[in-house]
Amino acid sequence: MNESVRSLLDSKFHQKFSRRRFLQGAAGLATLTVIGAPSRGEAAALGGQLNYFGWDGENGANVAKDFLAKNNIQMQSSFQVSGDEALTRFNTGGRGTLDILTPNKDFQRTILQAGTELFQPLDMARIPNAADLFPAFKQAPWLIKDGKTYGVPLIWGDEPCVYNPKKWDGVPAKYTDFADPKYKGEIVFMDDPFGNTWLFAKSIGVADPSRLTAAQLQQTMEAMLKVKPNIVTIGASFADMADVMVRGDASIGVCGWAYQTLIAKEKGVELKVASPADDGTYYWQDAYAIALDAPHADNAYAFIDFMSSAQSNAAIATELGSGCTNAKAFDLLDPVMQGLYPYDVVRKADGGILNTQIVFPPQQTEGDIVGTQAWIEAWQAFKAA
Amino acid sequence: MTDLLTAASRGSRAIRPSGGGSGAFRLLTPAALYYAVFFAIPMLCLFVLSFWRAQGFDLIVDFSLDNYWKIAQSPVYHVLLLRTVVIGFITALIVVPLAFALSYVLHFVLARRGQIVLQLVLLSLFSGYLVRIYAWRTILGKQGLLNSTLMWLGVIDSPLEFLIYSNFATVITLTGLLLPLAVLPIYSSMANISRDHLEVARDLGSRRAHLVRTILVPMALPGIRTASAFAFLLAAGDFVTPSLVGGTQGIMIGNVIADQFRGIGSNWPLGGAIAFVTMALVLVVYFAAMRLIRWVTTW
Repeated sequence: MNESVRSLLDSKFHQKFSRRRFLQGAAGLATLTVIGAPSRGEAAALGGQLNYFGWDGENGANVAKDFLAKNNIQMQSSFQVSGDEALTRFNTGGRGTLDILTPNKDFQRTILQAGTELFQPLDMARIPNAADLFPAFKQAPWLIKDGKTYGVPLIWGDEPCVYNPKKWDGVPAKYTDFADPKYKGEIVFMDDPFGNTWLFAKSIGVADPSRLTAAQLQQTMEAMLKVKPNIVTIGASFADMADVMVRGDASIGVCGWAYQTLIAKEKGVELKVASPADDGTYYWQDAYAIALDAPHADNAYAFIDFMSSAQSNAAIATELGSGCTNAKAFDLLDPVMQGLYPYDVVRKADGGILNTQIVFPPQQTEGDIVGTQAWIEAWQAFKAA
Repeated sequence: MTDLLTAASRGSRAIRPSGGGSGAFRLLTPAALYYAVFFAIPMLCLFVLSFWRAQGFDLIVDFSLDNYWKIAQSPVYHVLLLRTVVIGFITALIVVPLAFALSYVLHFVLARRGQIVLQLVLLSLFSGYLVRIYAWRTILGKQGLLNSTLMWLGVIDSPLEFLIYSNFATVITLTGLLLPLAVLPIYSSMANISRDHLEVARDLGSRRAHLVRTILVPMALPGIRTASAFAFLLAAGDFVTPSLVGGTQGIMIGNVIADQFRGIGSNWPLGGAIAFVTMALVLVVYFAAMRLIRWVTTW
């Protein structure tokens, strides 16, 4: 997406949307009315508790507020700080207490492929709104195992750089260009071993950055270490990373999220998003899933179906500065929001680039290809250096 | 008043261990059970786990020293263990004397008004832990309170970058966080020292430094020991503060332990082994420091 579109997006985006309402959880959205939106899946008797463990914002505190109140559902939300934390929570006493999870595609793919217990197969008849998903998400391979579906995509997007336009005109063509001394004291990284390693592996020319040999991983870390003198800090979360830029302690965030521009706008700071022209970025998708042995499965199904409706999906996508997954929701988006992400990729069946582009490494070493533990240790060595 | 004293005396007799050791044992039982269930047993499980292996998402029951061997061989863990101990030690070296001085002022200088000031110090504990860390970011940041003030006064031309996202920032922030906790035990110990002790020492010719070393510190030693434990152990065990204000050098061993218990790249047995090595190292340093304090005060 070119710069003029992004600029237009920023102004329109924030004009249409009240950050205060988003952050404080007040009802309603300026552009989309989802109050009392009908849910085709509300057949079972609802009410009582619904336990959510996932990303902050994806619990639909604003979007589902009236739906939850109408059905007398009390949502208890806990937020993860890393994409794979649900597994730890599940294995440390969470089993039997968790209902809704929001795994990203690579994490869910890995869990399903490994046969690890975490998600339960979904009865898609109870989520009729999922019929309106974009083709890429309808039969997404990362959500299916043995013919059973384990997730309903909620939002998607990319992992761009976020920068302060008062300081920079854009971002360099390659991630490795951030080693230029002119960036000294200007960069904040995200504490993400997989995202950063993947992006820099791509930048040094590795064909499949998710499958690195030990030597390639070493070369990737060496490239990242050349950038390290320019890094101010490593953000503990997306919000923390945005906070560093809002305070003026750094002016470029690597491995960021468009949502950070909204956080900054609320604080009166303009940030823009862009990806290195040569290296590009990678795409992610978060889905709603139901935990194995979920104690409030009826509420969970009803919630997922409600959030999957065109109105709700457009609202949550707008709220989180992300791509919508419901094809009908696309028509409800502001024109500038429609231009935020390349929707042609999700109109293709079988997941499109989201399916072929895998960010997580293999769980275990596969011949010469190193596994997750090697990536984690390399990232720790990078941080400790 | 007499009635009250009598009632207090009865109450006192009522809770006094009637059967010597067995009474004390009964009183200790709830706390002992709590520690057994919520500390000793989990720690024992973690210790056993540290000899197992992780394979994918599965834990393999084993008795292997591989995890400990890995720690012994990895320069990354050595660097982080050293950094953790040094940060904890420096923080304690700053926090404990500050807490000692503050307690002295509260007890001996401000006397009754000291109680009010103590309550004000403790009020800071009512604010959230993360809120206080972010408050320090506001103070120490490039465009923070301190840099802005110094630039406004013309003392500096450009922001002092070492103030934030550095080990300096970690130590300063930890000091701010831990000082109220360290004041409590030292103040409590000092409350048992009367002015008469100091007067007698002065009459016998004791000078200020000698008086502090031979009277104040030994008599407040239980409190100093507890405050040192709070400051050193909590600073060494913290990983949120260094990750938020420590910058690219901010990672400590706690971050690595947390990573080993989190999600897809987790390795619980290795995490357990790192935790026990860290605990052993920190305890060795702590007890060595305690012996040093005792030696200094009796020398």
